[in-house]
Amino acid sequence: MPNHSTTETGDDSDSCEEVTPSGGSRSRAGWLFCSPWILGFLLLFAWPFLASFYWSLCHYDLINPPEFVGVENYQRLVSEIGTDRGFGLALTNTLYYSLLSVPLSVIVGVGLAALLSANVRGQGIFRTLVFLPSIIPVVAASVLWLWLLDPQSGFINYVLSWVGVESQNWLNQSRSAVSGEGLAVVTGWLDGQPLKLMGSKDALVLMTIWGVGNFVVIYLAAIGDIPNAMYEAAAIDGAGPLRRFWHVTIPMLSPVIFFNLVMGLIRSVQTFASIYVLSEGTGEPGGSMTMISLQLFLSAFTDFEMGYASAMAWVLFVLLLMATVALFRTSRHWVHYRTQV
Amino acid sequence: MGRYISYTIGLALLIAIGSLLIQYGSSRDAVQIPDDREEVVFWHFWGGEDRDVVDDVVRRFNESQSEYFVRAIAMPGNNLQAKLFLSVAGGDPPDIINQDDPVVPDWAHRGVIDSLEQVAPAEEVAAVRDFLLPAAEKLSTYEGEMFALCNGLDIRALYYNQTLLDKYGLEPPETTNDLDRIAEAIAPQGSGDVQRYGYLPDTRRLWAWGYVFGGSFYDDVDHQATIDSPAVDAALKWMASYRDKYSADRIAAFRTGDQSLPGKTFPLLPIRDDEMFGRYAVVMDGQWQVRKILALQQRREAEGLPAPSFGVCPLPIPAELPPGVTARSNAGWVNGNFFVFPRNARNRSGAWEFAKFWIGYQSTDQAAKTCIEGGWIPVSQSVVESPEFKKYTDANPLFGKFVELASSPNQFPTPPVVGAAMFKRAVESASYDAMFTDKPIEEILQSTNQTIQQQLDRQQRRLEEAPKATR
Repeated sequence: MPNHSTTETGDDSDSCEEVTPSGGSRSRAGWLFCSPWILGFLLLFAWPFLASFYWSLCHYDLINPPEFVGVENYQRLVSEIGTDRGFGLALTNTLYYSLLSVPLSVIVGVGLAALLSANVRGQGIFRTLVFLPSIIPVVAASVLWLWLLDPQSGFINYVLSWVGVESQNWLNQSRSAVSGEGLAVVTGWLDGQPLKLMGSKDALVLMTIWGVGNFVVIYLAAIGDIPNAMYEAAAIDGAGPLRRFWHVTIPMLSPVIFFNLVMGLIRSVQTFASIYVLSEGTGEPGGSMTMISLQLFLSAFTDFEMGYASAMAWVLFVLLLMATVALFRTSRHWVHYRTQV
Repeated sequence: MGRYISYTIGLALLIAIGSLLIQYGSSRDAVQIPDDREEVVFWHFWGGEDRDVVDDVVRRFNESQSEYFVRAIAMPGNNLQAKLFLSVAGGDPPDIINQDDPVVPDWAHRGVIDSLEQVAPAEEVAAVRDFLLPAAEKLSTYEGEMFALCNGLDIRALYYNQTLLDKYGLEPPETTNDLDRIAEAIAPQGSGDVQRYGYLPDTRRLWAWGYVFGGSFYDDVDHQATIDSPAVDAALKWMASYRDKYSADRIAAFRTGDQSLPGKTFPLLPIRDDEMFGRYAVVMDGQWQVRKILALQQRREAEGLPAPSFGVCPLPIPAELPPGVTARSNAGWVNGNFFVFPRNARNRSGAWEFAKFWIGYQSTDQAAKTCIEGGWIPVSQSVVESPEFKKYTDANPLFGKFVELASSPNQFPTPPVVGAAMFKRAVESASYDAMFTDKPIEEILQSTNQTIQQQLDRQQRRLEEAPKATR
């Protein structure tokens, strides 16, 4: 129904008609305004998304037409799981990196945010120092870390030497600290052998924690949002600073921790640029830096196995989806939204 | 007000710098093609100083021509392959490409490039094939057919600091035992904080030592990976003996130090002017390091400083080998640069003329000049024997050693199989595991062999199902 309205002024010569657009034309205008996004979504996201699923069922090398092979690529991926090659190796490395870096980022992030929320002199400077690393471009930061982690002249080993820890091989070592080999190193150390524990994946975890500043900003905002009355009530009930942190701050932060956990997990699995720079695009030493993202890239753009790489991307997608759903399921037990407090 | 002036000046400066950069970038690649010439689009991977040499070859070719005009486009970095595939798929490939990765079998198999017989008359291709050294021919061939034209060889040999060997009363190594003796003399086993090693094997060099120890990595008759053969096993065990001698952690840490040298200096060379020795007494490397040695010696001579003397020798043969295995002398792993001709290129004949010009098929003098400028090893004995090049090698005996080695039949490339890049990565990864982990070497080699064989079988199955890609 068109919406016309006429204003009578009492003077025929001075009448005017104000017309608002009809429902149809409003709708057209809306679609027109949305169309760049819709086109972008369809062409740059939906189509590649669906096409990659079809390619995951094909042999495809970019040059020749895709050849349908059913689930062969998926069978190959499954056959590699549990081995120390291809997708199996990449999956193990990615799991190691994610399982260490994500919880550590949360712990360090919340800890730093709690410290930075304290009303002390120079608070702004400390906050800036913590946030600064997260705005350095990832390639520049990776090159910087190549220098910092140099076993002979790197600053990190220099600092470790102050506390009597001997220099670590970091990016030149395939073995990892939290592993059977790492345990053997610690056992050997107790018997008087050198403690060469840290490897390339541990270096990557260290780098990730260094760049935790953007999460800290979110935690800081959330801490600032916690009503003082809750701390006062806890104090009246006899809670000390630690109990207040554990029973007030952490529960009130839990929605933000949950958000950062999910985002951190996705980000950790997608980490690519730093790995590419640190391992010069090879995933070395000893394949220890071959994460799923790099293996996918090498399969797609070095070996030109687009079908296999697409299958890997889909498996990665499903694994991430499962992990996210699992996190959502557990969240009802430990995430406390304010209305529930 | 002052702030606005600062912003305006800053913005103006940014625009000026941006314009200059754009101007510089476009002026290097902007070339006016003469009306009476056919354009030949040439992609190459060269950057830095080498790019100037390539530009000079292009300039000389264009000056020598009345029919074709080459437009060179530099694509340093590692995206050239993806760009090529997309350009071929999109129907707008370049006419000729220069590359140095082991990609010829992959590209040929997928139909990205044409065989030389699709580019030039068969008789001329046969004549060019005869013109090449054996190593250059191996690098150009896939399943008996030439799909590339090698235009420069890269050879590895042992560089040694003669002054340092003299100090310890040592001779250049002829066997691996000699090399072990040098290592032990310079850095005795069990010594504390080592500042200089006699020799340390590099994990990337299993390719070279495998061939020296009489092994091979692939049987092209049975299409079988042979990485777990006794010869390769012996080579890897010898390399890993240095891990047992010095410890994996120390070797790894020391090796990183090589990468941290200013400007990635050749670690055989002394860093400071008051030093005569570098981080090693003996290092395996390619002919391009000769320039750095000569530059150091010339600079020191000009400044009146003492300069160390250096030598080059072939990879020493093993002192002991498993029964039935024979060592190879003058052996090693060879790679090189090569031209390929993309499918559906517009100007094949112009591209072919340019490739022949570069390798010296028609004028050895031009190729000699190119090789001297770039420090590259010629791909033909005719160029090696040309007066200009002979004069150069006589004056540079270190470089001459590499040229001699290039003509050896015992120089082998990465096996020319589909998936060669994966093959190379897997072998180097096995070598790393042997040098830096506690895994048993036999187990490492068997597992790597199995991985590669599975990939080769997969490729072979595809080859049988769909022989050579659609053209």
